[in-house]
Amino acid sequence: MNQDEFGFRVRQALNEGADRLDYKTVLRLEQARSAALARQRHAGPATVRLPALQLATAGPAVGDDGGPWGWLRGAGWIAPLVAVAIGFVAISHWQEELEIERLAALDFAVLLDDGPLEAYSDQGFGLLLQAERPADR
Amino acid sequence: MATREELSEFLAGVERRAFKQAVFAVRDESHALDIVQDAMMKIAEKYGDRPAAELPLLFTRILQNVIHDFFRRSKVRSTWVTLFSALGSADEPDVDPLETLDASGDARSESTETTYEREQVVAIIEEEVAKLPARQREAFLLRYWEDLDTAETAAAMGCSEGSVKTHCSRATGALAKALRERGITL
Repeated sequence: MNQDEFGFRVRQALNEGADRLDYKTVLRLEQARSAALARQRHAGPATVRLPALQLATAGPAVGDDGGPWGWLRGAGWIAPLVAVAIGFVAISHWQEELEIERLAALDFAVLLDDGPLEAYSDQGFGLLLQAERPADR
Repeated sequence: MATREELSEFLAGVERRAFKQAVFAVRDESHALDIVQDAMMKIAEKYGDRPAAELPLLFTRILQNVIHDFFRRSKVRSTWVTLFSALGSADEPDVDPLETLDASGDARSESTETTYEREQVVAIIEEEVAKLPARQREAFLLRYWEDLDTAETAAAMGCSEGSVKTHCSRATGALAKALRERGITL
């Protein structure tokens, strides 16, 4: 008989002994198990990643398991970047409109002004008109 | 992560063996129950969120640690048991007792014995297992009762695989000799 075979036969005997525990011991073990289960450590709540613009009430998207629309979930982080880019473009466009309006007002003021002609060759004249424009309004 | 049901099922499956191992180690059923309960508490509180597949090895290590802690807390008893174990294993013969064991009997033929006789045999085996030196018994039980491989047993015991093989070999030799002397044939 080799070592493994001997170990196997001892194991059978030990299993028999373990199966014959008295009732009180079995009850104590059950109580210990219940007490331990009551204290089981649970992992923290799972992190749910939602696209920034997805409505909380929308529920799970079709294809959550990687279906035809599954890529939308993965692309959710792009939405904030797109919004920021659109914002920059809008601000740039608004500032450009303001500049055009300002230059137009300046040209209009120059055309109506009855100042001396030499003044128009002065580089600071434009700044003077610009400074006086609020008062004109 | 192991669910409550998985942990419950796991603990139900190992609690009796754990209790017996603790009894073999501390030789007191009341203390053994406390040890098993302590081990169950620890695995539930600290490792209850681990995958179910990791639980067996974790519980084995925890149980061994709790048993060791028990001995640390009762140093006098530990010293006595260690001394007794050392004396018991000092004069091992060179012959391999496994060679002289009669391997003709099998489990089926044993099942024809009376229940009382079988219970007596099991009790003697348990008694002799409990008499093994602590490390030898630990290695033998983990290897052959808990069915861990050599590497897992070494990890659970915090020693090398070579030590595990040595402990197991000595344990089977000592156990086979003791059983043969008591007229037990496996």
